[in-house]
Amino acid sequence: MSKDSTTPPAGYDVQRENLLDFKVPAQLQQVLEDDGRDDDKNFMLTTLDEVFNWARLSSIWPVTFGLACCAIEMMATSATRYDLDRFGAGAFRATPRQADLMIVSGTVTGKMARRLKLIYDQMPEPKWVIAMGSCAIGGGPYFKYGYHVVKGVDLLVPVDVFVPGCPPRPEVLLEGLMRLQDKIRGREAKLKTPKWVTDYAKKIPYRK
Amino acid sequence: MEQKAIYELLAGKIGAAALGFNDEGVESYAEVAPEKIAEAALFLRDEEQLGFNQLMCLSGIDWDGFDENGKGKSVAILGYSADGKPETSDRVGEGDLGVAYSLYSHEKKHKFTMRVRVSRERAVVPTVIDVWSTAGWHEREAWDLLGIRFEGHPDLRRMLLEEDWVGHPLRKDYQMPGQWEQVPLEGKDMTASPFTPTSTPTTGPTPGAEG
Repeated sequence: MSKDSTTPPAGYDVQRENLLDFKVPAQLQQVLEDDGRDDDKNFMLTTLDEVFNWARLSSIWPVTFGLACCAIEMMATSATRYDLDRFGAGAFRATPRQADLMIVSGTVTGKMARRLKLIYDQMPEPKWVIAMGSCAIGGGPYFKYGYHVVKGVDLLVPVDVFVPGCPPRPEVLLEGLMRLQDKIRGREAKLKTPKWVTDYAKKIPYRK
Repeated sequence: MEQKAIYELLAGKIGAAALGFNDEGVESYAEVAPEKIAEAALFLRDEEQLGFNQLMCLSGIDWDGFDENGKGKSVAILGYSADGKPETSDRVGEGDLGVAYSLYSHEKKHKFTMRVRVSRERAVVPTVIDVWSTAGWHEREAWDLLGIRFEGHPDLRRMLLEEDWVGHPLRKDYQMPGQWEQVPLEGKDMTASPFTPTSTPTTGPTPGAEG
């Protein structure tokens, strides 16, 4: 974790983030609005980025990668009742070369850390990571005495969405996936923390 | 057969190496001298009336923090502190190491438990892999996590951790590693409030964003 708040952590791709943040140029906007005629409105303007991002977010293929009990929930998410495929992310690939998304579902042990990094490096760009569950976020119950556990997968690879829970229910993983789709779309995440929640949370005494 | 009677039979075979029988606790057990353990194991397996054909479990024990009578004293086990760094201490572990053998006979339907006790400085126990081959992996695990060497084991490598790991983590005086082979094992600082982030979040909405 970097000490300086202005420097992004290692492995964090600033260029990629900037690419996602685009706006419709003002001139085009004017053409659309000030024309005054109705018979030429049956066309749509977009950018290649927008189209590509739409394609990407509609078919996020996760790599088959389960580490612990969270993987059971991940399997449940992809099975019939919750059906991850509704969001285009149901095609779990058996090779990282075909995958866009790594769902780190479970405890990352020191031994597994090398393999995880290798799988992440083998995935083609663009790629995304969801840290699923307490262990992948920050070590979870192994924080205190886990001599073999990496305390958070964001110490190894850049993480896009953190999905809390121990383990998270399938609904929560779906929520995380939708937030990731928002991110790929290049828009602000739809779900923001309501003000009353943050206000209330600030009143809870935090352990020093 | 009663466990006491099994112990009597065993004591008749190995004599002074049978150090005592304890049935005060939940599980009764026999204390056996470590140098005679292989002989005792072979006897328990091959004796007609006993027939212990299965080693259910072989467990390593660290008696650090226990006094002579087996009563516990408080020993602070080192972990990671709240800021994620490993805790350090100069305390050197004392007290013996040991191995417990839990046996079961499928024929006679009876159980028996043996224990050996070795000093921390020279933790060497003869292997029982020639008696029960299932002991192989169990002994490797006891070596890996507690550092008990099994003399005569044909392949005493680490079982769970990688070959180049330093130390034996389940010993009570073990100090947690900060990192291992460029893999960070230290935690993140948990003393900082989540509302004042110490680093740029990699992604997602800004923490505390209101809407």
